[in-house]
Amino acid sequence: MFIYYVKLACLSLWQTRSLSFLAILIIGVGISATMTTYTINYMMTKDPLPEKSDRVFLVRLNNWSPEAAYRNRAEEQPPTYISVQDTLNLIAQNKAKRHVPIAGFKEMLRLPDQNAIDAEVSMVRATSRDFFSTFDTPFLYGSSWPKSSDVSGEQVVVISKAMNEVLFSGENSVGRSLILGENQFTVVGVLNEWFLLPRFYGDSMRAFQAPRDIFVPFQTQVNLELWTSNLQSFECWKEPENATVSALWASECVWVFFWVELNSVDEKAEYLDFLDSYVKEQQALGRFQRPIVNQLQTGSEYLQERRAYSSDSEIAVWLAVCFLALCLLNAMSIIMTKFQGKTAEVALRRAVGASSLDLVQQYALETSIIGVIGGVLGLIMTHLCLYISSQLYTHLSKDIMSMNVELMLATVILSTVSSVLFGLFPIFRAIGVEPAKQLKSL
Amino acid sequence: MLRMNKLAKTYFTDTVKTQALRPFDLEVKQGEFIAVVGPSGSGKTTFLNITGLLEDASGGEYWLDGVDVCTLSDKQKSRLRNEKIGFIFQSFNLIPELNIFDNVEMPLRYRRLSHAERKKRVEYALAQVGLHSRQTHYPSQLSGGQQQRVAIARALAGSPAFLLADEPTGNLDSKMADGVMSLLKEINAAGTTIIMVTHDLEQATQASRIVEVKDGVISEVDRHAQAIA
Repeated sequence: MFIYYVKLACLSLWQTRSLSFLAILIIGVGISATMTTYTINYMMTKDPLPEKSDRVFLVRLNNWSPEAAYRNRAEEQPPTYISVQDTLNLIAQNKAKRHVPIAGFKEMLRLPDQNAIDAEVSMVRATSRDFFSTFDTPFLYGSSWPKSSDVSGEQVVVISKAMNEVLFSGENSVGRSLILGENQFTVVGVLNEWFLLPRFYGDSMRAFQAPRDIFVPFQTQVNLELWTSNLQSFECWKEPENATVSALWASECVWVFFWVELNSVDEKAEYLDFLDSYVKEQQALGRFQRPIVNQLQTGSEYLQERRAYSSDSEIAVWLAVCFLALCLLNAMSIIMTKFQGKTAEVALRRAVGASSLDLVQQYALETSIIGVIGGVLGLIMTHLCLYISSQLYTHLSKDIMSMNVELMLATVILSTVSSVLFGLFPIFRAIGVEPAKQLKSL
Repeated sequence: MLRMNKLAKTYFTDTVKTQALRPFDLEVKQGEFIAVVGPSGSGKTTFLNITGLLEDASGGEYWLDGVDVCTLSDKQKSRLRNEKIGFIFQSFNLIPELNIFDNVEMPLRYRRLSHAERKKRVEYALAQVGLHSRQTHYPSQLSGGQQQRVAIARALAGSPAFLLADEPTGNLDSKMADGVMSLLKEINAAGTTIIMVTHDLEQATQASRIVEVKDGVISEVDRHAQAIA
């Protein structure tokens, strides 16, 4: 019977093609509006590390002035970043599975055979080799630098695929050199396409922007005293002893985001105990003169606190859902008009032995075909809308404006299910006719 | 085979109660050809609709092939209709976008027969009405008489025990009407019971029994007395 119903549905769709097209168009527009806003919202708020997001934490230490709480908050909260000396200390203590400092600087980048005039300003991410394993970055060539580079601060670099295209025409550049400012670095790895959305590990303002293209060891930045004051936020409750970079490194200025990956979520309390004891040690040395309110925060908690997730996009989704409901009500009225013209046929089919269930199945299949076509149309329109959005909001990562397979499937399923649901009323109205009254009008 | 005891039909609106059919008894045996006559609005079609299970009676008993239809569910009635009853309507009631084969096949679809069985039955039914060669035509490509023959083939395809015809020649000219009547008589002669509503007394006299419906009262016409009169 299924094939018979498909045949009847196709005939009916063709017979009432104008109304069918209108219903499909309306469903497509509604689905497109909903899925465009939902996709952006979903991609902005999805868990970037679903397998380990509950055991990767931002370390927050209450390193601030004895006179006043950080930012004078009534409820004391530690800064989101820590000082260089604490970063180095915590790495040295090696209590977590992985340690990922997030620092950086800005430098002029060129190849050794290029003139200084050809150098371009580039933003460099200073971190540790654990960065690549914690955030599961894929490598196209080579690998992350060895542990020894983190310890000694070697001049090694990992670059993105895009940067490798620009500098080395996409060739395997492992072992090649590049110049950052005055310093020569050796390429040890080239990342493959890699997107972490939302990119929670750094400044929350840039959570939806692409990652940087150059990565060097944090210790190298420290050793080479590479500092760019206007690149990132830094806060000092006490001025450094002098204006040198080494004084800044030794100061209480906080600016390094420090992430740790633990073996399991159960180790969280243990690591917090360790942080408390570390702070107590430092208090004995005259530092950390405020109450101990250390925190371990997941990426999601951090972004929520920093209000990186705009509530506007969530409101937009709800508005789009309301718009979809309106579209579906419109489609329902069109389908009702379509089916009103079929009352005589319904009566005839009842007369020759079709049960109500037979007719519900027949017409539900027709509305589901409308839903599927509407869903596919909605999918195409969603892609178009996302493309236009990505062209309008070029500062945001294009990945926010792209659908994964699950979302595409969800689009078609949503369209089909909602069309069938909203089509039920017209169907029951159509099959509710009294055959005896209709059989003279076919 | 078909037995109606004190069957009645009353329509209710907010303020008006209309007795469409007053309680009546009727028994139809297998192979009979019953003509139902009466003026317009007398209740003929209501009688036919109740007989064909398209409408429920308001009271009384209705037994069809030993089954008390008043106790059946909607689904059971659909099944009984599909297996026991064939309909022929004045306006043919063919689906214009389906070809002749598909129109005739329709009741068999709801009987869940195999494709081969459906094909065999449709071809046989169309051969019975002399339209075997028109299977791929559409209703609009046929004359009125041919369309009614298709409708008869559709009614016959399921091999029903009853054929209910509601003024089957009402939309046909006299020549086509004669052809359809001849066909119905042949079908009846082959053993199918026919109940036919008609305005045409000449056609009614070709039936084995005549039932008159007048002001909702159903009564048998004494053909012998009528002939004498």
